[in-house]
Amino acid sequence: MKTIIYTCPYVPAEWIAAHGLRPSRVMPAAVGSTGPLARVEGLCPFVHSFINEVLTILPQTDTCGVIVTTVCDQMRRAFDILVRRCDLPAFLMNVPHTWQSTAAQKMYVDELKRLSRFLIRLGGKPFSNDTLARVMLEYDDARASILAARSYLSARQYAQLIAAFGRDGPGMMLHSETGASLPIAGVPLAIVGGPMVRGDLDIFDIVEQSGGQIVLDAAETGERGLCPPFDRRRIRVNPLVELANAYFNGIPDASRRPNSELYNWLKREFLDRAVRGIIFRRYVWCDTWHAELGRLKDWIDLPVLDIDVGGDSQAHQHRVPNRIRSFLEMLL
Amino acid sequence: MICAGIDAGSRTIKIVLIEADTLKVITKGLTDQGVEQDKLTSGLFRKLLKNSGIDKKDVGRIIATGYGRNAVSIADTTITEITCHAVGVRYLVPDAETIIDIGGEDSKLIRLDRSGRVRDFAMNDRCAAGTGRFLEVVARRLGVDIGSLGRMAAKSHSPAPISSMCVVFAETEIIGLLASGTAREDIIAGVQAAIAARVTALTGRNIDLPIVFTGGVAMVSGMDTALQSALGQTVTVSPDPQMTGALGAAILAAKHITHY
Amino acid sequence: MPGQITLQEWDQRYEQLRKAGLHQPDYSGPLSRHVEDGDTRLLKLRYDNSAAALRLWNFLLTEEDRLHKARAEGKKLVGTMKDLGTIPVMAYSLDNLVAFYPDGAWWIPCVMELNTGLLKIADKLGIDESFCPVRAMLGAFLTGAHFPIPDLLTCSVGATCDDFSAIAQRLNGLGYPILWWEIPHRHPPEPDEAAVKLPGGFSAPKSQVEFVESQLQHIKTAFEDLSGQRLDEKKLSTGIKKANKVRTYLAELRQLAFTAPQCPMPALEMLIAEMLAIHFCSDRNETIVVLKGLLEEVKARVRAGIGFLSPDAARIFWVNPVADLQVMNLFEDCGGRICGTEYLFTHALDAIPQDLPPTEALAQMALADPMVGSSIDRASRICNDVRIFGAEALLISRIPGASHCALEGQIIGEIVRDKLNIPVVELEVPPLTDSIRPALRTRLEALVETVRARRKK
Repeated sequence: MKTIIYTCPYVPAEWIAAHGLRPSRVMPAAVGSTGPLARVEGLCPFVHSFINEVLTILPQTDTCGVIVTTVCDQMRRAFDILVRRCDLPAFLMNVPHTWQSTAAQKMYVDELKRLSRFLIRLGGKPFSNDTLARVMLEYDDARASILAARSYLSARQYAQLIAAFGRDGPGMMLHSETGASLPIAGVPLAIVGGPMVRGDLDIFDIVEQSGGQIVLDAAETGERGLCPPFDRRRIRVNPLVELANAYFNGIPDASRRPNSELYNWLKREFLDRAVRGIIFRRYVWCDTWHAELGRLKDWIDLPVLDIDVGGDSQAHQHRVPNRIRSFLEMLL
Repeated sequence: MICAGIDAGSRTIKIVLIEADTLKVITKGLTDQGVEQDKLTSGLFRKLLKNSGIDKKDVGRIIATGYGRNAVSIADTTITEITCHAVGVRYLVPDAETIIDIGGEDSKLIRLDRSGRVRDFAMNDRCAAGTGRFLEVVARRLGVDIGSLGRMAAKSHSPAPISSMCVVFAETEIIGLLASGTAREDIIAGVQAAIAARVTALTGRNIDLPIVFTGGVAMVSGMDTALQSALGQTVTVSPDPQMTGALGAAILAAKHITHY
Repeated sequence: MPGQITLQEWDQRYEQLRKAGLHQPDYSGPLSRHVEDGDTRLLKLRYDNSAAALRLWNFLLTEEDRLHKARAEGKKLVGTMKDLGTIPVMAYSLDNLVAFYPDGAWWIPCVMELNTGLLKIADKLGIDESFCPVRAMLGAFLTGAHFPIPDLLTCSVGATCDDFSAIAQRLNGLGYPILWWEIPHRHPPEPDEAAVKLPGGFSAPKSQVEFVESQLQHIKTAFEDLSGQRLDEKKLSTGIKKANKVRTYLAELRQLAFTAPQCPMPALEMLIAEMLAIHFCSDRNETIVVLKGLLEEVKARVRAGIGFLSPDAARIFWVNPVADLQVMNLFEDCGGRICGTEYLFTHALDAIPQDLPPTEALAQMALADPMVGSSIDRASRICNDVRIFGAEALLISRIPGASHCALEGQIIGEIVRDKLNIPVVELEVPPLTDSIRPALRTRLEALVETVRARRKK
């Protein structure tokens, strides 16, 4: 089946799947690797890694298109690299940063429709409301299963399950992470930030080894990036509107203007899960998240550990465990 | 009983031995870091024991800290340098609320609560521009001893602004400043100001007083003045700033804190 | 004879002009008085020696006084952030609103040589040197020392750079309410989309123009609430007409300055002049007078065939404004001449359509911003302008920490080299370049040498 790759949580996988294409959310393996796009000062390591992964996709794979969004300005600029250097058709989706107006909501819906035209050009099929509704329910059920699995999976397994869901969709995802284990009890922590790479999942293990436990994965690639449950009555009435509402209004992010909903969401989740400390994970050169570090520290009366990732993997291997260990020493 | 703390830093290895019940320092010493760290550590430890007439069996517990702590074979356990510096400084300055530690390879800001426990911390361990490494670079470039930097900086009337985030490019700036006739004193003062500015970025909006400055760079005169100027607050240099990490580790050993 | 003089020489020159009967506006005076206010960088710059340039500099350096005066007169102040050229046109259409760009604070660390501590304040807020120098704006708001706190703040987001957006959000988080408005990434119209040709040459789908127009309607409503007056089509059309007057003068000034056989006006004064287009330095009428004066001076010099640079100066097209104004002097010392610019707001130099409903015209203008579309589009416009102005090379000035600078230089450079086969150089310019002067000089001189060598081929 033809595959469409993307990385942003505001791209609804259901929309792609309804077109008869396979959506696959990419989580790059690591940052700092070499590739066709050289590392440049000022370039976010995640954007760099993602673009290099796309540029090195082999023609004989089933990947037929890539979607990036305007949520991040560096990704918006990186789209030009894809257009110029990549044979794979690329689509830049305008995701509004403002969210409080009906115009912004309408813009998001219009962009989904424009995306639809792109997907059809790549071999996707037009579909009925019933098809979209069916796909949405399938994904909704899968997300419900993932959320339920949190109670018996370790933090790393949970993060991997979410990643598998994004990568493979509901059908394949159910086969992964069934080797459940009792989660370790440790100091409850949240991890907050933008997207992670697969190599970063080691953080969950390091936290546990140091006496902590990630009870809230508020990274973009974690629970925060999952859209909330659909209103099943509204799916029957107008699935597109419900899809747009759930994704656009339901995923809080630092890039929103204003981004007050992110803080409201964090406050609720911190309280619900009795979080005692926050691991704030950001990329060097990611201004969107970096600017929130100071604000988060001002806003919340919890200790915050800053982990800045620059793509220098060797130094990172010492630095991150050392910081996490110090943080847990402080909390224990 | 005697307890020992070993701080295996990036540049030097420090060891402190204390009486477990009184926390009184019996002896201390340091040696340069090297490739065979474990051998160097053990050698220094034996030397301190011998010079003090202490038998190894009298040493009840040893805690290692610092960058190379996991490679100290004689340690019973390890604790990070954040916790150890906090304990060591608080012992020497009982009302310390904020600790700034600038070492050879990193800088840290540690906030303590009323009871002296670490409340919060921030680190710069990615970039040499806010660390002692920068001072080494400027000392080498100017052909002066690092110990004389403070005296020279005090003569500066107009510290040269150093704009680079990276110490490699900052070295290029230093060359450029020398070529343009900028006084060495102004360059040194500029470098000290740049290091202090990097620390300011770790502090956030509020800083609790008193501020205590520790780490090897605290021994470079003029750095405390630069920090005071950047922070707009009085900064006190810790007694024995190079040894606070090892002292803290020894105190923790004495207090039998073993669950780290 | 045209020439460049130091600040100290300006004091003498000022006396000469005054004795010769120079007509002075009330904000005029010797430039050195601004140094006493803390603008110490002025001591290191070199200035054009004309009365018109004196007026330009005094106009620029007295903006804060004008803002305070406007407030004292009961006018409302609007801080328009990020969009660079569109919203102020709306604000100035109401006679009791004055608009300015708090973003302009990015030059304060340079002009005051870091003495104000604005960057330190930003550091303490967690906005360190990995962000664009516009972070100085945060310090300016918190100290209140560089401009009066506006009555209303607007900020465009969406297809804008992340660092400014993040800094504005930090400001918002500190308790400064902001009216956010969305500018979508301009994409080429698809075959089944109704298309609109925008001023400046780009195209966009009609739906995007309509969207932006809806955003401007919100701004319009906010301005009406603030001013207590209706901002009807007639007022907006008048406002557009006046803005176009500024743009017309500027277009003529640029055309002459960049294409005359002898360079009639230095790069530094041309940079300041262009900046007047975006918010009229808080006085739209005076901007027209200042630009008119500058244009007359340039015309006189062109007629007389006189300039102040060597005739063989390398003709360079400059992309992105510099954080350190002294670099413009250095560039000319190295043998360069500015022949074309793209300072992030070329759309503010194009005439706003006057044959359309005014908000639609302004919406088109906002979408025509080269920064709102792809770097490929931006490069395309740059290529056109390079041809128009006859530039021999391209220089891309990187702004440290600016999110768009990481990749756009590569793309613009590739396209310009491919299409025009001219040398392209990138260089990074922090707020104070004193210590990296030798490195900058090397690059600039090397570019000039390259251009001259290519002439011989």
